[in-house]
Amino acid sequence: MSVQRGGLGRVTHIIGEGLEGRIANRHLALFGLGFVGLFFVLPILLLIPESLNLGSTTPFESYRRVANGIYVDAFVRSFLYGFVTTVVTLALAYMLSYFLAFSTERVRTAMILIIVPLWIAYIVRYFGILLFLSPAGPLADLTGFETDLLFTTPAVIIGLANVYLPFAVLPIYNSLNAIDEELVNASRVLGAGKWRTITKVIFPLSLPGLVAAGLIVFILAAGSFLGPAVLGGPNQTMIANVIAQAFLDNFNIQFASALAIVYTVLLVGLLLVFNTLFDLQEVLGNI
Amino acid sequence: MSTRTTTKLEGVTFRALITLVFAFLLLPVLIVVLTSFTQQNFPAIPQEGVSLKWYQELLADQRLLNALTVSLIVSTVSAILSAIIGTIAAIGFVRGEFPYKEQISTVMLLPMIISPVITGIALVRYFSTIQLPSGFPALILGHTVLSLPYVFLLVRSELLTYDRDLERASRVLGADPATTFRHVTGPIISPAILAGAFIAFVVSFGEFTATQFLISPGTSTVPVVIYTMLRTGLTPTINALSVVLIVVMLVLALSSRKLSST
Repeated sequence: MSVQRGGLGRVTHIIGEGLEGRIANRHLALFGLGFVGLFFVLPILLLIPESLNLGSTTPFESYRRVANGIYVDAFVRSFLYGFVTTVVTLALAYMLSYFLAFSTERVRTAMILIIVPLWIAYIVRYFGILLFLSPAGPLADLTGFETDLLFTTPAVIIGLANVYLPFAVLPIYNSLNAIDEELVNASRVLGAGKWRTITKVIFPLSLPGLVAAGLIVFILAAGSFLGPAVLGGPNQTMIANVIAQAFLDNFNIQFASALAIVYTVLLVGLLLVFNTLFDLQEVLGNI
Repeated sequence: MSTRTTTKLEGVTFRALITLVFAFLLLPVLIVVLTSFTQQNFPAIPQEGVSLKWYQELLADQRLLNALTVSLIVSTVSAILSAIIGTIAAIGFVRGEFPYKEQISTVMLLPMIISPVITGIALVRYFSTIQLPSGFPALILGHTVLSLPYVFLLVRSELLTYDRDLERASRVLGADPATTFRHVTGPIISPAILAGAFIAFVVSFGEFTATQFLISPGTSTVPVVIYTMLRTGLTPTINALSVVLIVVMLVLALSSRKLSST
């Protein structure tokens, strides 16, 4: 090893050394963890003392405020919309996944068409739905047909389901694809009809993928900011909007932190309840 | 009705349903693109002819061009950073041996699980504590953290399928670890690293929710500008800007897919 080695040579040398020994590999992992710890985990954890505001004359004040009616409503709404979105999305995703797994034609194209929206910014996709539902929008302009859905709960659910649909297709498709075709054939040979085969063989075997998909969609939808912000009205405010409002409009970081912490605790609590019904480790293995 | 016709009818109904679901998924994006070519003053589907005047409008608007520049700078720098850090972490987690490796590796994925609003307020608060200026430094660091899990997952899965015998062969034949990395390991995993960088760029380029907390006056990104414009009223300029966003994101995402499948 010479001292004159240039920049690139030195970098590859360091990485090469790193690939060599076990201790160095552990250090590489530690470096990644340190970065996430320092610039993600620590900032999130610091919201806890921030929310308690212990130095002030009125500690826990923020938490008392969280129990207020309008904020409780926002929590209930987040989990409710999250749940309804999950049900709608899973139904649509199951159809698409079934088509992808058991149809023989143009599956590659169909798969690309499902994945492409994942690569397009949420804001653009919500904007598209806004255009669709807008009473003075292009659809109304072209067909004369107007909906009064915009800024209502169904509009928000439509938006959330649209945006998170591709996330749900992937795990369901994987679990359907993994089903041994011989099992389906056996069911048919033994005299079960198409529907009986679906409900008694295919559906139960795809359950792990379905549960994983539901989990992803629920977490994403319940925490959505843009869905209600673009497509909802004042009565569709979800928890993310309340947090943003507390911070951006009222500059109240203590209250925003308290809301964020209560939300995260509730979400983790829900996941733990869920864990007693399904094995979370196994579910996450399906993603 | 014979069973044959029932099956046929079922098939037709199922196909119709699938078509509807695809329409539901894709039409919103399509309508954004289509109405960007309108000649009218609001986003309408062009009927009498197309016009590019809203794209010209875009080129004449300093604020929008500035947002585009900011977005490109932030996404490029944060993608490079997150490719480097993500790759180092992925190598560490695949090759390193330590207890609870699997469980600990989920920490690397936390930024994609926590609601971006919470990430946003946590980061902006933290950055002001450590006195990191808002604007570019905050945006770049924030986007690096948010896109890191994607690079980590991509490079990790590439390393897991990688044949370590190639490395051993290189060593047996007398190459030192640096040479082995430069001529064997590096070339094999570099498409995955580049694919990861492209996906990190895409994630950063479209991020809105956490970003709205990190911007400073003068460093608005494209999604933030689109959101602000949406609140003030519908003009086809929003469409033109959205189409630029779509094109950049799709080109990079497709390149990434090409790289990771080869």
